Amino acid sequence: MLTAKNIHKSFGELEVLKGIDLQVEPQEVVVLVGVSGSGKSTLLRCFNFLEMINSGEIIIDGKQINGKKDNLNKIRAEVGMVFQHFNLFPHKTVLENIIEAPIQVKKKKKADAIKHAKQLLEKVGLSDKADVYPSKLSGGQKQRVAIARSLAMEPKVMLFDEPTSALDPELVSEVLAVMKQLAEEGMTMVVVTHEMRFAKEVADRIIMLDEGRIIESADPKTFFENPSHDRTRQFIQLVE
Amino acid sequence: MPEILVTLYEVLKRTYPGFLDAVVITLQLTAVGVVLGCLLGLFFALLKLSKSKPLQWIANIYITVIRGTPLIVQITFLYFGIVEFVTLSNFWAGAIALGVHNGAYIAEIFRGAIQGIDKGQSEASSSLGMSKTQTMKRIVFPQALKRSIPPLGNQFIIALKDSSLVYVIGVAELFSIANREAAQSFQPFETYLVVGLYYLVLVMIFSFLLRLYENKLDVDKD
Repeated sequence: MLTAKNIHKSFGELEVLKGIDLQVEPQEVVVLVGVSGSGKSTLLRCFNFLEMINSGEIIIDGKQINGKKDNLNKIRAEVGMVFQHFNLFPHKTVLENIIEAPIQVKKKKKADAIKHAKQLLEKVGLSDKADVYPSKLSGGQKQRVAIARSLAMEPKVMLFDEPTSALDPELVSEVLAVMKQLAEEGMTMVVVTHEMRFAKEVADRIIMLDEGRIIESADPKTFFENPSHDRTRQFIQLVE
Repeated sequence: MPEILVTLYEVLKRTYPGFLDAVVITLQLTAVGVVLGCLLGLFFALLKLSKSKPLQWIANIYITVIRGTPLIVQITFLYFGIVEFVTLSNFWAGAIALGVHNGAYIAEIFRGAIQGIDKGQSEASSSLGMSKTQTMKRIVFPQALKRSIPPLGNQFIIALKDSSLVYVIGVAELFSIANREAAQSFQPFETYLVVGLYYLVLVMIFSFLLRLYENKLDVDKD
């Protein structure tokens, strides 16, 4: 579904990704972990071309993407992204946030877009919030709207960039519940998170990044109980 | 009643038909200046924010030259200075000068407001597959415009008062009429007080409308 081959990415002198190889299978849930600065968010942002890679290949759904030549908007429409700080459009209501891209990008009819948006709002448990502005929502509600907004484009894969890191502790679980439900429905997901319980329960595979390299890639049981790398062991102690 | 108030009232009463006509012309000048200023401002703000260096230079040259020279010079230049190439009526020379002048300030207002919108907004929009144009038009600009309203309102007030400089090319706006009236009536003290009052009232009405509009925006969204 999503393949990265030997990805290198630098910001000026600083090399953030030093040759990443990663293959995500359809319906797989991959959790990326690592200390801050390890490059996990950058890697995620490379997958929908918010950051352009310096070298390497990104293959999405069997198609190799050339960042310069291809229509990135079309590719991004198929790769959903959920941000740490939600990034809802504050000048639009919840419903307008969700129908914006389907109407503008997919040229959906407004009535169809609204119908789909209402189904998605029901799915994330916010049917009653369709007509309010984002400023009236809690952080957890905002993030659930952001997930619904992303799903409205019917993406083939969803990227989550620390979706619960900006939330008050008591609001984390409602967002994780929605993500878990998505995983159970077979959505392909790549998740950067510090929520180790989510990783344990939901991930098919956990990948540990360290200084721009993948140092560990294992199923959750192996990852937590028998990691192969010292740095992974230290990291697990740190977060648990 | 003190004598001064009586004379003021008499001057006000005698001059209001002429002044009211002049108010209309002042408002027309201001309206053209502000609308043209907003269009130019938006255009040059986008040039300045573009990735192309030459386009940025063009915007910088415009802003530097216009902000660096007096409005009264710009007005006379447009009316007397380029008469060999283009002939403009004095109203249009004045209105265009006001527009070009305000455009330079409004460009900076728009640029600041657009740059002040969180980068996450355009990232979210791009991540949904929206093009750069769609992102600017539907996500960034509406938010930037809302933030521009207080400084824009301020700029509109300045434009309204600056329109008085157009007297120099003989447009029959408020200040021209005041000059004529003061000279004819030998009552400069009362006449200039009265014309000041006209400007003050216009600005106060405008500020009031602006405040209503700002409140309405806040009630809607927050």
